[in-house]
Amino acid sequence: MGVTCVSQMPVAEGKSVQQTVELLTRKLEMLGAEKQGTFCVDCETYHTAASTLGSQGQAGKLMYVMHNSEYPLSCFALFENGPCLSADTNFDVLMVKLKGFFQSAKASKIETRGTRYQYCDFLVKVGTVTMGPSARGISVEVEYGPCVVASDCWSLLLEFLQSFLGSHTPGAPTVFGNRHDAVYGPADTMVQYMELFNKIRKQQQVPVAGIR
Amino acid sequence: MADVLSVGVNLEAFSQAINAIQALRSSVSRVFDCLKDGMRNKETLEGREKAFIAHFQDNLHSVNRDLNELERLSNLVGKPSENHPLHNSGLLSLDPVQDKTPLYSQLLQAYKWSNKLQYHAGLASGLLNQQSLKRSANQMGVSAKRRPKAQPTTLVLPPQYVDDVISRIDRMFPEMSIHLSRPNGTSAMLLVTLGKVLKVIVVMRSLFIDRTIVKGYNESVYTEDGKLDIWSKSNYQVFQKVTDHATTALLHYQLPQMPDVVVRSFMTWLRSYIKLFQAPCQRCGKFLQDGLPPTWRDFRTLEAFHDTCRQ
Repeated sequence: MGVTCVSQMPVAEGKSVQQTVELLTRKLEMLGAEKQGTFCVDCETYHTAASTLGSQGQAGKLMYVMHNSEYPLSCFALFENGPCLSADTNFDVLMVKLKGFFQSAKASKIETRGTRYQYCDFLVKVGTVTMGPSARGISVEVEYGPCVVASDCWSLLLEFLQSFLGSHTPGAPTVFGNRHDAVYGPADTMVQYMELFNKIRKQQQVPVAGIR
Repeated sequence: MADVLSVGVNLEAFSQAINAIQALRSSVSRVFDCLKDGMRNKETLEGREKAFIAHFQDNLHSVNRDLNELERLSNLVGKPSENHPLHNSGLLSLDPVQDKTPLYSQLLQAYKWSNKLQYHAGLASGLLNQQSLKRSANQMGVSAKRRPKAQPTTLVLPPQYVDDVISRIDRMFPEMSIHLSRPNGTSAMLLVTLGKVLKVIVVMRSLFIDRTIVKGYNESVYTEDGKLDIWSKSNYQVFQKVTDHATTALLHYQLPQMPDVVVRSFMTWLRSYIKLFQAPCQRCGKFLQDGLPPTWRDFRTLEAFHDTCRQ
């Protein structure tokens, strides 16, 4: 697993999500990237059941259970600011058994689907984030395979992102700052996706209110 | 046509000899005409026979005369010069059918081309010998008699010495660790780990570096049975490029008499790759060129360049 940066691409003015995705993929293909199949990252939210809450009435913690098609035999479970657990796919079955402690939030499943592109040692995934039937945004993930230390290759990644995202290049992800010399792992990618999904969830409420 | 002017042929006698041949031919044909005509009509049989015999004898005499004349002239003509430069191949030029079988002109071209080739090859070998790529300590072209009795000792070093040199170099740089093993006989195999950037497998022949393979930090360097994998290439293009550069480096750093200095310089050069992903190219200032970071390290200054940017 190489260093990965997950960011959101804002929808272009006057265009739909689909058209912006097409614009991006065309730019990538002009750069020389090759299409290499599809990918999917999804996330379900669970909150701690009321019965387990203490008498002080502390707020329930939200737990996210995520899957990534890049690691088809794994399942990731993480809390917002807490640790991330990498387990195998039987974890989903385990969650069913833990119904008493964790209840799934209704209509909370959010996922991103799209195509994978390979350019030299970079793996770029452009996906449409959907919640239910509606498309909510665009996710862009860039992985640089050869490097495993995040702080080493941020400038390199930034240069590559600028070459096809232009002015929408994001800043350094927070996970990069936390772990200076530690080896980057898939859990860090899932944390980035979780943050992205949460941002998109909060975002959508504004334009809907505007239309009404 | 052959070079006529420089041969020792007497042209006058030559043309006279040709005329003499013509005269001889006509007198011989007269003889046969006389025989064909037979005897002329005369009064008596004797008269006819005598006339016929006299005529016949005249013709034979003229043939004899012409033949002698021809012999005399042919002696005067002389032989063409034996110093003809082209010998037998010059005779090819006498072939008049140039369109279908241009043998002579092709032969001349091939000859000129091979002469030029020989000349250029001589120049090239002179230049190349100045930059010798041999890594043994033997002098080139020294005959068996003149070769000194003592063989160069740098190829047959005791393994303990090799171990000592390697462990000393291991302690030189803190971010580089070298692990030595000998799975296949006496040649050492080093696994060099450079920080968290890359791993290098170095195959040695006593204290000379033979081959290197560079792989990423997260790639496996062992085969399925747990042995060191010295053949498979890296999965990443950047490390494949660095492997090519490392092979160039091990050919560049050469000193057959002092191999430990060579290994030390090679490791110093390799250590500059600790900043493979952080250093921009010194020439163009960018990080990426065709998707690759600056993979070339200058042999003297250790500065980072893109493969296409290096001077």
